[in-house]
Amino acid sequence: MQSMPPNASTGEPLNGLPEKAARLAVNLMRAFARVFSILVLLAAWQWLSQSGTFTPYQLPSFTAVVGRIWDDATTGDLAINAGLTLYRALAGFAICAVLGIAIGMAMSRSVIANWFFDPIISVGFPMPKIAFLPVIILWLGVYDTAKITMIVFDGIFPVIAATVIGIQGVEKELIWSARNMGASKYEVLRHVVLPAASPQIITGLQVALPLSLIVTVVAEMLMGGYGLGGAMMQAAHFANSTSVFAGIVEIAVIGYVLIKAMALVRRRLLVWHPEANAPATA
Amino acid sequence: MTDPIQPPAQIVVDRVTHMYRPPRGKPVLALDDISLTVQNREFVALLGPSGCGKSTLLYLIGGFLPIEKGAIISDGQKVTGPGPDRGIVFQHFALFPWKTVKHNVLYGMERQSLPKAEREKRAMDFIELVGLHGFEDSYPSQLSGGMRQRCAIARTLAFDPKILLMDEPFGALDAQTRGLMQRELLAIWQRSPMTVLFVTHDVQEAVYLADRVAVMSARPGRIKTIVDTKFDKNDPDIFKNKFFVDKVDEIWNLIREEAIKAQGKRT
Repeated sequence: MQSMPPNASTGEPLNGLPEKAARLAVNLMRAFARVFSILVLLAAWQWLSQSGTFTPYQLPSFTAVVGRIWDDATTGDLAINAGLTLYRALAGFAICAVLGIAIGMAMSRSVIANWFFDPIISVGFPMPKIAFLPVIILWLGVYDTAKITMIVFDGIFPVIAATVIGIQGVEKELIWSARNMGASKYEVLRHVVLPAASPQIITGLQVALPLSLIVTVVAEMLMGGYGLGGAMMQAAHFANSTSVFAGIVEIAVIGYVLIKAMALVRRRLLVWHPEANAPATA
Repeated sequence: MTDPIQPPAQIVVDRVTHMYRPPRGKPVLALDDISLTVQNREFVALLGPSGCGKSTLLYLIGGFLPIEKGAIISDGQKVTGPGPDRGIVFQHFALFPWKTVKHNVLYGMERQSLPKAEREKRAMDFIELVGLHGFEDSYPSQLSGGMRQRCAIARTLAFDPKILLMDEPFGALDAQTRGLMQRELLAIWQRSPMTVLFVTHDVQEAVYLADRVAVMSARPGRIKTIVDTKFDKNDPDIFKNKFFVDKVDEIWNLIREEAIKAQGKRT
């Protein structure tokens, strides 16, 4: 017994290296598990496109679509179209965020603002805003102003609603504590109300961000011009199905990156929140 | 030799009546003609059944609720709003969850004219005092209930209030932690006595901590009696001490009928 190495009985590694390697292996497995379903979907796509059931026009192969994306990237078309779509989505989202939080705060602080905005929100939130598209085109044309207006029109509602609900839920004891320690009304708002409501506000922003991307693409498709949505409609007119599918993949990737980035921002901003210790889902 | 000049009382509640106005429904008389005086450096417990308005009275003294009828004088000045001369500790801690222990404790001092280095030192001193050394950089969500209340007490003591208002501060803690915290609060108060008004519904807690216990009646809240409970609290066997047991019994008899009344009114 005494001749055995100290840790042999417990099965623990004797130095850090195997443990590190094991952790790396576990992390790789986790990363793989996370994208497994996507890989299955892509493999099915590739197999289906080559099985002879569909013509390449009906369903171009995944590899052909990746090849098209690569071609677009080298000619610079991808940068222009994806860049414009991303710019519109993010500009619209930024306006939604600033204006939405401001209106939500005003509604929570002032009876008059609440009286004025509340019915508008109740009617406007569930309404399909895309119905206003012809009017927006009539008033603002088909360029960036019109597209970004459409995005703000759609994305601002969840931000306002989340801000109002978040501020309503702030415990009065927190506000009293700050007042007790000599905080002014403005300091209470900045130091207490906003941070206390931030989990809900960020949730509202997490709803508004993908919504902004969706509306951007829809608006681009209906109004034309550069941008991924416009490029896809153009490709469809020329029966260029590979480019249409390339657009779908590009939008999917952009949406995925945006959502992941937003989840990262949330984790960064809410390190103090109990949810930070819980496993992440987004 | 006693001081020939009595220092003025620190809290004077003068015939305060308060209506509770629920968002829907009829207003309810919560406090009915309350008068109470708390002397300088005195520890007074406000004891009563739940719903008797004892917390409401504390919030009125804290300046968080408008005083509609009567007056409250704190340290010679009429109470018109909250202020750092009256520090409050809440039952559910009311810590800023997005701030670490240290930054919670610093918040009150940041609004005072203290140099930064001194604020930091003072914060660390009070964190040390309540036994949270080593947890300065933890967030409240990472602490146990007892530790959170320690942090809240440190935060309130740190901005140096003349009066300490405590709203059932140990009510949310488990029995063991509560006992420990009571002993520590008493030790802190004995070392540097300050004026304390302590709301509780726990008779033993009130007798153990306070110099005087103001017993309140069920709604509408009135001060029923004030019982003197000043005696040596450092007896290790205090809970078997005859005086202690008798006082608890006396107050319990006073409050029993009120508690029954409060129960009956609810159904």
